[in-house]
Amino acid sequence: MKGYAAKALLWIILSLPAILMLWSFLQGKILTMDLLHPSGEMSIRLMILAMLAGPLSEFFGLNRFFRAWLAIRRNLGVAAFGYGLLHLVFYVIDMNSVAAMLDEIGLAGIWTGWLALALMIPPAAISFNFAMRKLGKNWKRIQRLVYLALIIGLAHWFFLDWNWQPAFFHLVPLMIGWLLRSLGRRRKQRIQRSFA
Amino acid sequence: MRKISRKYVAAAVTLGVMMLASPAYADGNVKCDAGPKNNWKPIAKLKKQAWMEGWELLKVQVEGDCYEVYARTESGQAIEAFFHPVTLKKLVVYRRGREIYRASGFSN
Repeated sequence: MKGYAAKALLWIILSLPAILMLWSFLQGKILTMDLLHPSGEMSIRLMILAMLAGPLSEFFGLNRFFRAWLAIRRNLGVAAFGYGLLHLVFYVIDMNSVAAMLDEIGLAGIWTGWLALALMIPPAAISFNFAMRKLGKNWKRIQRLVYLALIIGLAHWFFLDWNWQPAFFHLVPLMIGWLLRSLGRRRKQRIQRSFA
Repeated sequence: MRKISRKYVAAAVTLGVMMLASPAYADGNVKCDAGPKNNWKPIAKLKKQAWMEGWELLKVQVEGDCYEVYARTESGQAIEAFFHPVTLKKLVVYRRGREIYRASGFSN
C-alpha cells in the first residue's frame, strides 16, 4: 500500500509541469507556440535524470538515495516520453495543418524532433515488469535507444536555436556521470589485477 | 584520500545539475545596432509592416536591440523575422532555424 502511495505521489509531482502547461493553454493565457520550448526541455531533462541514475549509482555505490533513484528510473523515462508526446501535441495544435507540417518535415530542426520521439517509443512501450522479464537481455538493448534519442533530441534543439550552449549544458551532467563510471570501472580493474 | 576526491566529484555533479537547471534562452544572436530606444518606431507600425507582408502575426517583441516577429506566412510556414527598430527594414527571416531571407548588406 505504501508503495502505491509513493508511486502516486511521484506521478503527481512528475505531471505538475504538464498540468501547469495545460492549464495556461486552456485558459488561453499563453500562445501554443510558447509551450513548445518548456515541454521539449522537460522531456530532455527527465530523460537525463533517468539516464544519470545508472552511472552515478555505480560510481558512488548503492545507498538509500541511489536505490530510490534507480527504483523510479523507468517512471522518469516514461514521463520523458509523455512530455515528448505533449510537445508533439502542442506542435500539431500550433501548426494546425497537416500540409504545413509535411511541408517543413525536411528541415533539420523538424525531422530530428520526429526521429527523437520515434526512437523513444520502443523503450517507453516496454517499460513494465512483464516486458522486462520476457525480453531478458534484449530489454536493456532496446532501452539503449534512449542514448540515440537524447543525442538527436539535443540536435533538434540546436538546429532550431543555433545556439550550442543550452543543448550542450544539458549533456554536461551525463558526461560527468559517464566519466565517473569509466573511472570507477578502471579503478576496480586495477584493484582486481593487484590481487591476482 | 578517496573521501576527498568523492567530495570534489559530488561538487562537480552538483554544479552540472545547477547548470542543467539554469534557464536557457537563445534566439539567434541578431544585432540590429538600433541605437537609443527613443528613436525607435512604435510597435504598431511594425505590426502594420509585417501585416503588409501577408503574414498572420503570432507574437511581436523586442529581442536584444531588434524587433522580432513570430508569424505564419500565407502558405502556413512558421517564421521568425527580425526588423530594424528605427527603419523597420526586414533584416533576416528564419524558418525553424533555417535562414530563408537576409537583407542585402546585413551581416549581423
